[in-house]
Amino acid sequence: MISDYRSQKLSLTLGHLYPDQLNLYGDRGNILTLQRRCQLRGIELRVVGLGVGDALAPDEYDLLFIGGGQDKEQAPVAQDLHEMKGIGMWAAIEDDMPVLAVCGGFQLLAHYYRPAEGPDMRGLGVFDAWTEHKGSQVPRCIGDIAIRWGDQTLVGFENHGGRTYLGTAQPLGRVIKGHGNNAEDHTEGAIYRNAFGTYLHGSLLPKNPHFADYLLELALQRKYNHAESENVPSFNSVATEHGSTVLELPRTSLPSLLAPLDDTLEWEAHASLLERLGLYTEAASVLRAHIDSFRLV
Amino acid sequence: MRRNSMRKQQPSQPIPPDTDHSQQTNQSDAASLPTVPAEAHQESAEKRQRGSARAGMAVIAGRTAGALSRRLHIGGGTSIIGVVAQRVYPDIVAHLATELEHGSIMVTGTNGKTTTSSFIAAILRDDGLRVWRNREGSNLVGGVASSLVIRAQPNGHLRRSGAAISILEVDEAALPKLVRAIPPRIVVFTNLFRDQLDRYGEVDSVVNKWKIAIAQLPASTTLILNADDPTITQLGENFPGRIIYYGIDDIQLEAAEPAETDTEKRYQVLDTRTCAHCGAEYEYSARFYSHMGHYYCPSCGKRRPTPDIRISRVEMESFDRIRLQIATGEEAAHEIIVPLPGLYNIYNALAAAAVAHAMKIGWDAVTTGIEQSKPVFGRGERIQVEGRTIRLLLAKNPTGFNEVLRTLFSDNSSRHILFILNDNIADGQDISWIWDVDFERAVHHIETLVVSGTRAFDLALRMQYAGVDEQKIMVVPPTPLKALKTLHTTHSRQQKKLHIRRAKKDNVEYNTQENIKLPEYVYGIKNALDGALQKTPVGETLFIVPTYTALLELHRELEQRGFTSRYWEGRDA
Repeated sequence: MISDYRSQKLSLTLGHLYPDQLNLYGDRGNILTLQRRCQLRGIELRVVGLGVGDALAPDEYDLLFIGGGQDKEQAPVAQDLHEMKGIGMWAAIEDDMPVLAVCGGFQLLAHYYRPAEGPDMRGLGVFDAWTEHKGSQVPRCIGDIAIRWGDQTLVGFENHGGRTYLGTAQPLGRVIKGHGNNAEDHTEGAIYRNAFGTYLHGSLLPKNPHFADYLLELALQRKYNHAESENVPSFNSVATEHGSTVLELPRTSLPSLLAPLDDTLEWEAHASLLERLGLYTEAASVLRAHIDSFRLV
Repeated sequence: MRRNSMRKQQPSQPIPPDTDHSQQTNQSDAASLPTVPAEAHQESAEKRQRGSARAGMAVIAGRTAGALSRRLHIGGGTSIIGVVAQRVYPDIVAHLATELEHGSIMVTGTNGKTTTSSFIAAILRDDGLRVWRNREGSNLVGGVASSLVIRAQPNGHLRRSGAAISILEVDEAALPKLVRAIPPRIVVFTNLFRDQLDRYGEVDSVVNKWKIAIAQLPASTTLILNADDPTITQLGENFPGRIIYYGIDDIQLEAAEPAETDTEKRYQVLDTRTCAHCGAEYEYSARFYSHMGHYYCPSCGKRRPTPDIRISRVEMESFDRIRLQIATGEEAAHEIIVPLPGLYNIYNALAAAAVAHAMKIGWDAVTTGIEQSKPVFGRGERIQVEGRTIRLLLAKNPTGFNEVLRTLFSDNSSRHILFILNDNIADGQDISWIWDVDFERAVHHIETLVVSGTRAFDLALRMQYAGVDEQKIMVVPPTPLKALKTLHTTHSRQQKKLHIRRAKKDNVEYNTQENIKLPEYVYGIKNALDGALQKTPVGETLFIVPTYTALLELHRELEQRGFTSRYWEGRDA
């Protein structure tokens, strides 16, 4: 059942940045999801925690994750990210390593975070974007959210006081219901190469198995399809372009290294959140596309 | 539905019968209790003269509004009474509260408010006081106001305020507002964990609210603080009044956790990691759960204060019988039995004993008060249903849920479980926290499992990811997915056409049986309850772990089926 790629056992290493400091919004669910989806396919996924003071050697990892935390804990993390992990992170991202940055992590990968008062917090500047907190009288962006990602949907929960504005960075998706980056321009998240920033938690990946698989696929293709492959179209060349072509993600054009799983429950959870947001058409198309018994319809 | 809502909104609960009257033999004891400061009395006397007329109006207005809302079936609870009364006379709460002979005790914190208040109430009642409390869930300003107004007379005075004391369970965020209205005699802080991030904000913002509240307290107030929670002890700094710290000294308790037997270390959420002074990470010589334990800061030397009242020994005798040795100072320890399950209830009992200690109440009342306590609404409550026992264990946040799971699964017996996860406003709309709960602990100890609530699918997914066999999980969503229905109809219509056409062609009879296989569900909490009961054999126990609104819904269902009384009737309002 497993698409055993040239009969070698596939393995990936996930670097989980600041697991103790940035773990406020159930970020553990994202890690558990990646682990489980690998495990079910016989892929070995090793998770390495990278705390404050640890260096990031880009060639040791295939995938990076960074979550969100309390304001108080974000400042020392921002400093460490610059001093200890900045160069490694840049190298990894320029080398097309998939990176998922949620909430606070997303803000840390943009240029800066400007609080309502006090000095700016410097970010890595991976995404050409910046975040401003407009003071306590401006309401936080809180609630369930659905966005359009390519021709599909992503669902989650957002809770952020900062408003993020995109420069040249492409958004991860368009807001269907919810606030998104800044509650003004309907953008949500940001993309640079294979790095994805987003405000969606809830956790994000369990209810969005297509996005989880997309990240794993990117990591596997990068690791195993890198040098060789004449008959396999180079994933990377397509992937680098997708920043500008958000609506046509190169998902299906590739021979997948991932065996399909039974995701009925995942998609029911996804669809039920869409319905809670009043998005019945989207919910129907999700079920039709993903639940076996409806494929025939 | 209509009948149901009528009953729910019966707001003016009967004034509690004066049952304590007979117990008032211990008059001298009650008289020797420290009362509210004399100056407060004087001030209140003036205020009373000025305000009585207005207060009377406010009381009448509030109770009229309550009666009207009951009549017209609008609104949810009783807080309308307090809200209207406050509109008429903004100082109504302060006005009435000063009439209480023994003042007010406030209890706040993330977990344990209700159980701690009920322990305190039991102790004080055993000591001969007349105890008033705000009702379940009415812990915002309006609810507290209502609790006083419904006991006031149209002349603007409280009924039977002699020997009376109020125990107010206060929402974390409402504390600054309430201490302004009612200067409390004692404030108990139980603990602080992440809870409803969408409503309360981060843990730090709650700390700031509490600091604002504490800055407004008179020096005559006593603070009762949990010594084992670093965030709580930090509240005592710079407070000029009396502080009593309580904590667990029995470090054996840490070892009671069979965590290391598993290859995986137990996942615990830490909500306070760093020192409030220097920002370094705390280290622990003993950690009981989450960030609760014997901590110290390796950088600036800040450490857990020595508790004034402490538990020197804990023995878990059975699922809900814990034997404690409680000691103050150099005194010999006193034995107390806590008749409730869970480590968190040890802290609740200790906090109540600390209140008694602050009020110089004898150990007899503490012992009997705690030992004879019944579980309060949904917190370990036991209900008999058709030969089975139901235990309700409310869990509202990751730490609360983790502790409930520890209580259920620490002795390796297999359990029948019903989890209900709602995401209504009172629960917190963000359910991300379920991914921080250590459900992995439950995996090998689940006999049968039903998951339900508005976010049943999310919870089912969480259980599946924890490693529970998918076949074992019965999912009971709140309502059918609309999309599923539509698709189903379209599909079967198409199938039917196809079949009929085929049947005509092949000249055979159309077979109606052949249809697509769909995930089959029943819906709603009622069906979840039935399903879970069906899976639980007669004579065994079904453990139900609901979030807050799920508990209300479930309790109403159990009441309607006549298995338990309406919840305020069983309560000591």
